[in-house]
Amino acid sequence: MIAVMHDALPYLIRGTLVTLQIAFFSSLIGFFGGTLLGFIQTSSNSLLRFLVTIYVTIFRGTPMLIQIPFFYYLLPEIGIELSLFATAVVAIGLNSMAYISQIVRSGIVSIGKGQREAAHVLGFSSWQTMRYILFPQAIRTVVPALLNEFITLIKDSSLASTIGVVELFKEGTIIISRTYAVIPVYCAIALIYLTLTTALSCVAAVIERRMNKHAHH
Amino acid sequence: MLIIKNLCKKFNSAVILDSVSLRVERGEVALLLGKSGVGKSTLLRILNSLDKADSGLVTVDGKMLDLSANQSNLTIGMIFQQWNLFDHLTVEQNITLPLEKVLQKSKIEAHAIAHKLLVQYGLETKADDSIMQLSGGQKQRLAIARALALNPKVLCADEPTSALDPLLTHFVAENIQQLAQEGLTVLVASHDTALISQLNCTIYLMEAGKIVETAKSEAFRAHKEQYPLIHKFVGNH
Repeated sequence: MIAVMHDALPYLIRGTLVTLQIAFFSSLIGFFGGTLLGFIQTSSNSLLRFLVTIYVTIFRGTPMLIQIPFFYYLLPEIGIELSLFATAVVAIGLNSMAYISQIVRSGIVSIGKGQREAAHVLGFSSWQTMRYILFPQAIRTVVPALLNEFITLIKDSSLASTIGVVELFKEGTIIISRTYAVIPVYCAIALIYLTLTTALSCVAAVIERRMNKHAHH
Repeated sequence: MLIIKNLCKKFNSAVILDSVSLRVERGEVALLLGKSGVGKSTLLRILNSLDKADSGLVTVDGKMLDLSANQSNLTIGMIFQQWNLFDHLTVEQNITLPLEKVLQKSKIEAHAIAHKLLVQYGLETKADDSIMQLSGGQKQRLAIARALALNPKVLCADEPTSALDPLLTHFVAENIQQLAQEGLTVLVASHDTALISQLNCTIYLMEAGKIVETAKSEAFRAHKEQYPLIHKFVGNH
């Protein structure tokens, strides 16, 4: 078994790197897109708010296990040719956008209306109020939730295997099909996921502590 | 000079402002006195385009304000009851940010204006502190400094003394008087009757959205019996 694991290790490391890349790039889409959607949900434009609500309802209300293959088949149909990796990143990123938009929205809503009113009286436009007053305060309150979302993405990235992206989970299943070492390989994969998410949880805790300390000074 | 003519405001069927008219000269302090909910704050909010009036007009130095505009009119400044300072910024940034982003001043210019105001209000050593490190009185002074940085002609203060102890109330009253002497038109909404003895102002007593009695503060202090409604209000508070 040690020999099997020894041989499997380079593949698992390679898969881990792909997993991290999927989580990283899809979280970028999720963060920037989700922030924009969060802004829209707190804006006064009811049509845009309605459209975002539909988006959020669809992406939060359907399994990612369906969303990823859906994009895999849909994108070529509408003339967009992406690699498997990019397709997975886009699908997971769009899903993450829906969740992050709600995190950002709740952060903005949590800022008292006094801040908005003060900005208005001082002549800030709606966009400037969002950019310079509300968002910087909201982001502080939602950083722990955003980091949790990133941790979730690491685990969710395993679903990219459904369209053939060779990330950590897929590397594991390939090794299993070759070696039949089911339990050791699954344990190894689980351990890697656990290590990644625990390390990120620790980073999140440190960031959260620092931000709280900063907020109290 | 601030002129308000026949300002009306309803929320659903409730009358908040019932044809309010008043005229405040340059360098004068107007004290809108009354219980909570009589429309004092709504009047200030309308002047600052935080609420919309149903009808009426407002002019500042002869120029009519667009009361339906969503954009604030910088000729009128506001000091909020809870100050509404920007907690994520330093003391100085609270003043410089609007100067840089709204008035498009350079960083150097904005810093110079902020520094002058911070010195004037005794906050120069606090420039880099966060808002949470300030006392109530210091927050009050910063709120005034921030409003003045934009060089308004009219300054509104909503319950400026409600969160302050008597000593600071006296300081705020002195400050308001000083601002008026420097040429600002000042409109104070308050239920704090202590301000009557500390300000040289025109008192407008409001009840149910209407101005029901008006008096110069000196005249009221000398002949209270001639102003029965204000006298009664002061007696009850």
